[in-house]
Amino acid sequence: MDTNEEEDHPYINEETEVGHGVVQVKRAPVQRIVPPLNFCPVERYLYRSGQPSPVNFPFLLDLQLKTIIWLANEEPQDTLLEFCDAHSVQLQFATINPEGGEDDNPWDGLTEHSIVAALETIVKAQNYPLLVCCGMGRHRTGTVIGCLRRIMNWNLASVSEEYRRFTGSRGGRILVELLIEAFDTDLVKIDRAQAPQWLNT
Amino acid sequence: MVYIPPLNFAPVVSTEVSLYRSGYPMPLNYPFIADQLQLKTVIYVGDKEISEDYREFLASQSIVYEYVHVESCRDANIKEHMDQVLRKVLDKHNYPILIHSNKGKHRVGVVVGIIRKVLQGWSTTGVYQEYDIFSGGLKGGVDLEFVTMFETDLKVRRLTIPDFVKLQDEGVTKTGS
Repeated sequence: MDTNEEEDHPYINEETEVGHGVVQVKRAPVQRIVPPLNFCPVERYLYRSGQPSPVNFPFLLDLQLKTIIWLANEEPQDTLLEFCDAHSVQLQFATINPEGGEDDNPWDGLTEHSIVAALETIVKAQNYPLLVCCGMGRHRTGTVIGCLRRIMNWNLASVSEEYRRFTGSRGGRILVELLIEAFDTDLVKIDRAQAPQWLNT
Repeated sequence: MVYIPPLNFAPVVSTEVSLYRSGYPMPLNYPFIADQLQLKTVIYVGDKEISEDYREFLASQSIVYEYVHVESCRDANIKEHMDQVLRKVLDKHNYPILIHSNKGKHRVGVVVGIIRKVLQGWSTTGVYQEYDIFSGGLKGGVDLEFVTMFETDLKVRRLTIPDFVKLQDEGVTKTGS
């Protein structure tokens, strides 16, 4: 089963070393890219993070995003709006509480309506590659991803483990976990013909 | 069917190829691995002998098991062992790959940090932050110092390198045409 050293790199010899499709891997590229706060892949071509700032734009370009779901009432920074404009990224606002207006506070959880709106975008392959983000990439993003995991039939403890992982030193909020647990997954209509492949397995 | 992913499970790269990270898979995680991941290769960076049920599970799924003996990044031969992992990661025929340690925190954190830095060009802060997310904020000063200083010298076939690896400048240089 185990490949031995010889088989492992048969192409390393004096002949190939001077050319013919062999590349040398040594150290980090000079041009470094900076991931957004709390960035992590979720599924194939699906990502989560906090609000990207200009320092993250080269990183975002590599992801070749088609859609960004922004989970907040207020608009993201102008620089992000401009980035989406310039690179034809569709920016979807999934407001926390459409009725809340100015009085709304950022500690409020997402409403069922906004979770469903975000998830209905996520279950359509045509919107990929896709980034789900909020201010810090912790609670609102965690809520939506947690509900997605429920749709995927993950057990609740694992969903919570993943949520808490991204919540930083102050830990998870029990209200978010209750929201995820109580979420009615039947609210999200999934057209299997249009869903990303990983959702159908 | 309720799926239970292994502890600290997450995708590392999930584009045309899939690379995953996790803690040590337990029997209750096997349905998830079998149905959802369709792995070709498992790389274990750790110091435990493989358990019998795990060996049987991997065999039943025709998953190639690569054991890389690592106690910590202070090991004398740690560089060779990291190269052993990188060679697997640099060949797209091995995908989908799961790299796991025991808890999916420190040893996997080092491996992923090296992949992020050397193969993808992530900034040091990005690497540190990701390590923190998965280690639960535990101190990893020695691990991160190791990742920061890590350099290698591997020669691999260009055609078999997965697309997520950055090839455009001197970190990964073309030799010859």
